[in-house]
Amino acid sequence: MTNVLEIKDLSIDLIKNKERLHIVNNLNLTIMKKQKYGIVGESGSGKSLTSLSILNLLPEGIEVGNGHILLNNDTNLVNVSKKDMRHIRGNEISMIFQEPMTALDPLFTIEHQVSEVLKFHGETSKKEMHNKMMTLFEQVGFARPKQILKSYPHQLSGGMRQRVMIAMALICKPKLLIADEPTTALDVTIQAQILDLMNELTEYYDTSILLITHDLGVIAETCERVAVMYAGTVVEEASVKDLFDHPAHPYTKGLLSSVKSLGDRTKKLYAIPGNVPSPVELKDAGCRFASRCPFVMDICREKEPELFSVQDRHYSKCWLHDMEEGSTYEYATTDSESS
Amino acid sequence: MSTQQPILRVANLKKYFPQKLGLFKRSKNHVRAVDDISFEIYEEETFSLVGESGCGKSTTGRSILRLHEPTSGEIIYQGKNILEFSKGEFRSYRKDLQMIFQDPYSSLNPRMTVKQLLMEPLLTHHICSKKEAEKRVYDIAVKVGLTKPQVSKYPHEFSGGQRQRISIARSLILNPKVVILDEAVSALDVSIQAQILNLLIDLQEEFKLTYLFISHDLNVVQHVSDRVGVMYLGQIMEMSSTDELYNKPLHPYTQSLLSAIPSTKPREKKERIILKGDVPDPSNPPSGCPFRLRCPKVHERCSVEKPVYQEVKQNHWVACHLYDERNQTDKDKKLEEQFI
Repeated sequence: MTNVLEIKDLSIDLIKNKERLHIVNNLNLTIMKKQKYGIVGESGSGKSLTSLSILNLLPEGIEVGNGHILLNNDTNLVNVSKKDMRHIRGNEISMIFQEPMTALDPLFTIEHQVSEVLKFHGETSKKEMHNKMMTLFEQVGFARPKQILKSYPHQLSGGMRQRVMIAMALICKPKLLIADEPTTALDVTIQAQILDLMNELTEYYDTSILLITHDLGVIAETCERVAVMYAGTVVEEASVKDLFDHPAHPYTKGLLSSVKSLGDRTKKLYAIPGNVPSPVELKDAGCRFASRCPFVMDICREKEPELFSVQDRHYSKCWLHDMEEGSTYEYATTDSESS
Repeated sequence: MSTQQPILRVANLKKYFPQKLGLFKRSKNHVRAVDDISFEIYEEETFSLVGESGCGKSTTGRSILRLHEPTSGEIIYQGKNILEFSKGEFRSYRKDLQMIFQDPYSSLNPRMTVKQLLMEPLLTHHICSKKEAEKRVYDIAVKVGLTKPQVSKYPHEFSGGQRQRISIARSLILNPKVVILDEAVSALDVSIQAQILNLLIDLQEEFKLTYLFISHDLNVVQHVSDRVGVMYLGQIMEMSSTDELYNKPLHPYTQSLLSAIPSTKPREKKERIILKGDVPDPSNPPSGCPFRLRCPKVHERCSVEKPVYQEVKQNHWVACHLYDERNQTDKDKKLEEQFI
């Protein structure tokens, strides 16, 4: 399979008083063709910034400091010109945001907004555009697509607006769809509809997905591979099945035990102590999870761990997987010995 | 864990919001946010209301505190109907009934220190002297996991989880009997959410509190509740003990709601019931059963007749024609067999 997107040694910096704070540090990930890739993390972990950096949409004062983002193995998105970037957005990569309420312009009809995308990407015939929109709107599950096209965003519910966003994102058949918390603002029953729809359509259009969420359940249901982010770094990367069966990093373990102990009222909920550190509190030296880690060792505070390979294509950024240092890691699963 | 003594009884509660149709026009339509619901909360138990957005769960919570004046119905607290009280009389009951809100960012006054925030309720209710109040502030702050020096800080210096601890301390400082938690952990990250849930459970035991827990998160609800009521379009569709509701849900809505929760076990693919469409507009609800437009088990009777909310098993209440035995015709029975 070919790579659609490859992110190498990416760091995203916040420039404050001429100082560079690495909000995202040394991020590596590869998304293959037709793959469904998930990034999961708590608020402030840098997952949304990562997705924005792919499309050159970082807010002012924040920029890519280091590394490259390769599209189709050749175009480096970090230093693409503005004009070229506009062609990549929509055609090659498109994005769905969390808030379907604010992502659509309230002053224009749905038809106007969707046709704008088509016009920009070279479609001129009105009839052709209308036909394209009608078929796509039927695909995203609207019973009466004609009516929807004529309506304004405020006339639609949250779930319907998110369907419009999906239709808009897929209308140019992009190779990669970035979905940043696409179902967080929606109710569970609507979330199930939208996830189902995304799965179905991306299969149909051969699109890869980069799904960004804080919900481990959503990852488990939709993705094939997953990266867990904490305070701006990927702490663990694995296939979804491996991650949920044998989590390796102490942070992932903590998160999963928090989620899995929910509902079992006989036991106390497992809670990771402390809070996610803000970017200002982060030191460059040492592991970023050290202050909350139950297995913290001296080396964790001094030196940043590398991504150790725990198993075949399962990586964890923790000193416990380094054989010499990690002999005290008694809670580790048996297969976590580093190779 | 809970004694069989209802501390709070809500009977036939209705809250209709008038819908204005322009400057000079009279309001004709009403949004039926809460439409005839009844439930009881027993002492020292956690009763949860769960449902999608717009189902009226928050309005119910607010109506109990008379933050919204209910349209009709009764709220019996310790044998008295609190809706009949004048504002002044009700004030003394407010101490017993407290509320914790979802957003710890907007529910704390940014110009007051934590100490001032926590002392305010004690002083407005004339409970004790300033000196005594100060002592109580420190006691409660330590109980919810804040340190003494943190008490003189301002809310903006705290993270979301810690702010929610302040909100909890503020509602508990008056020694309430019933605490209404309106999406109290929904805005928090998973790891922080677990900390706050543990704290709430510990405090409930220590202070013998009764919780009305309002949430859309079915996993959290399962963890904290003794009994659960599922709301849809202003009505309770099903109510029973937590274990029974999660293991043997009867109402088709509860069944689909539970099947929609994303599971954290990627290897187990479960049968999902995906509902079609959205929640209908509460100002114009469908005839008959409110859920019939999305129900996978809908039959003719659902559009004609509103199902009766009744006890079908011991302590298990459902509003659905599928479980209505008293006046079920043979035709319906056949349909039911077909669907189950």
